[in-house]
Amino acid sequence: MKVYRCRAVAKRIFRDLKNDRRTPALMFVAPLFAMAVFGLAFSGEVKDVPVIVVNNDDGFIIQGTHISLSEEIISSLGEEIIDLRIADSVDEAQKEVEDGEVLAVIAFPEHFTEEVMNSSSPGKIQVIIDKSNVNVATPVLKSVSNAVFSTVEKMGKKAPVIIDEDPIYGENVDFMDYFFPGILSFVAYLLTILLTLISFVSERVSGTLDRLLATPLQESEIVAGYALAFGSLGIVQSAFLLTVGVFVFDITIVGNVMVAFVVIALLAVVSQSLGILLSGLAKRESQAIQFFPFVVLPAFLLSGIFWPIEAIPSWLRPVSYLVPPTYAVDACRDVMVRGWGLDKVWVDIVALIGFASVFLTISVLSLKRRG
Amino acid sequence: MKYIIQTTQLVKKFGTITAVNGVDLTVLEGEIYGLLGPNGAGKTTVIRLLSGLLIPTSGEVYVLGKKMPDKSTAPNIGYMPQEIALDVGLTVQELMEFYGEIFGLSKNTIKQKEKELLKFVDLEAWKNTLIGDLSGGMKHRVSLACALIHEPSLLFLDEPTVGVDPELRFTFWAHFHALKEKGTTILITTHYMDEARRCDRIGFIRKGRIIAEGNPAELLSKTKTDSLEDAFVEFSKQKVVQ
Repeated sequence: MKVYRCRAVAKRIFRDLKNDRRTPALMFVAPLFAMAVFGLAFSGEVKDVPVIVVNNDDGFIIQGTHISLSEEIISSLGEEIIDLRIADSVDEAQKEVEDGEVLAVIAFPEHFTEEVMNSSSPGKIQVIIDKSNVNVATPVLKSVSNAVFSTVEKMGKKAPVIIDEDPIYGENVDFMDYFFPGILSFVAYLLTILLTLISFVSERVSGTLDRLLATPLQESEIVAGYALAFGSLGIVQSAFLLTVGVFVFDITIVGNVMVAFVVIALLAVVSQSLGILLSGLAKRESQAIQFFPFVVLPAFLLSGIFWPIEAIPSWLRPVSYLVPPTYAVDACRDVMVRGWGLDKVWVDIVALIGFASVFLTISVLSLKRRG
Repeated sequence: MKYIIQTTQLVKKFGTITAVNGVDLTVLEGEIYGLLGPNGAGKTTVIRLLSGLLIPTSGEVYVLGKKMPDKSTAPNIGYMPQEIALDVGLTVQELMEFYGEIFGLSKNTIKQKEKELLKFVDLEAWKNTLIGDLSGGMKHRVSLACALIHEPSLLFLDEPTVGVDPELRFTFWAHFHALKEKGTTILITTHYMDEARRCDRIGFIRKGRIIAEGNPAELLSKTKTDSLEDAFVEFSKQKVVQ
């Protein structure tokens, strides 16, 4: 081994880096970006989860003093975690849970304090909850049980208080059921964007794109062809993953999988057009790879795949809604865990169609741009 | 005879670099026009301007009677770029089918053209081979076959014989002349000066300018030289003196 030859090889790499300013810049920007996104997205606890309290408890008078255990419990609920609203009717509040407007309803019965204070029978708090997102439901339930435990202890009562969980959605949902729709969306997004990005950069670099543009093929036809191919691949891919999910991981699918397929196909179309757009910024395949952290991290951390959006700091949450997989994850989870249909997930679908329309249009325009 | 290609004071700049600098070019229907010049002279940029892939910085380009870029000319144009520019993941036959489809040919026509062109480029035995597995010369032949599949009336061939062996180069030229006989107009770029003798007219291009134009015999007699290479050098010297 000759040192001068090793030195020559190292020198060649440094010269290469000097000529490609983007790579060294990325070596510093990407870790900074990763640290910022990880730090910001993971630093928060679950916060501001909308919950309704229906308090029918009329309290109890002991030695001339009116006391209300329910009020005590409500005031002990974790303010950080729960964003509390008061309502009068359990039925109306439950409707809001069914519609996905709030996560839970905590209902106190009429003689709650009296029953606990007299130890006549266990006080029963009804918690009507959407358990489709276990990462959010669990801290809320924990907050309720902590509030009950600390209040009862403070009052020196040993009478039990039963928290009667009444899951509207997600009964018997385990982590895999919750996790799977996220994985489905993430895989479709990641693979489609990377495949399109690499293949389109290769089309540009090898000259095949020029060759295609010299034929009667319109720019819009090229983009539509890509969308058709990757949309179909998205469906096939999700069908395969769902089969594995059901038969190997024993996941439960409550709703109509066809709706999930439509969502994944739309996400694939959005991703492929984003891939085409990004391809315009790379001069060769190795530069295309450099987009990887900027494509993966926001989707990984901000779209609710692994980490609930409720746990992202509130000032950062709007960014989540600029990341297309957010809508796909939400819709797939609504369909597969909550059993919702098109009538309820249409907002997510419209958002994905919006993203697709904008990105497809810009992709076509970017191809029309001639030197 | 009508003009199939006509450019006036065509200029193309890339940043501060002027690749094409005031080219006036006319190509007549049914002729083989050769654009000759060293690497970097601007040949490929001229072809890309003519095929509508680039927009001129100034000047005008008319091809098949239309001001370029105009997509309506595309069905009548065959374009063989200088680089291989082929989908390496497809087989020869699959790629030819693809090009047949985008030009709107029927299945039967595609099959017939495939057979004919594979025989012409001598790749019948390789039709099911992935393009990525072919040699450089073979890829050039596939590229030519793809440019010819829709029987265009105007053919842009950018260095079509680079990497092609002398025997096949001879076959290529025989085919170009057969196409000319059928009425196809061909604009071909090359830096092989000996090949240029086979063109009806040639234009010497240097530093983005046409420095001389005419049929090969005229150019040789003007410079009193025996080879087009010497003629090119002679015209280059005159240009420098001017």
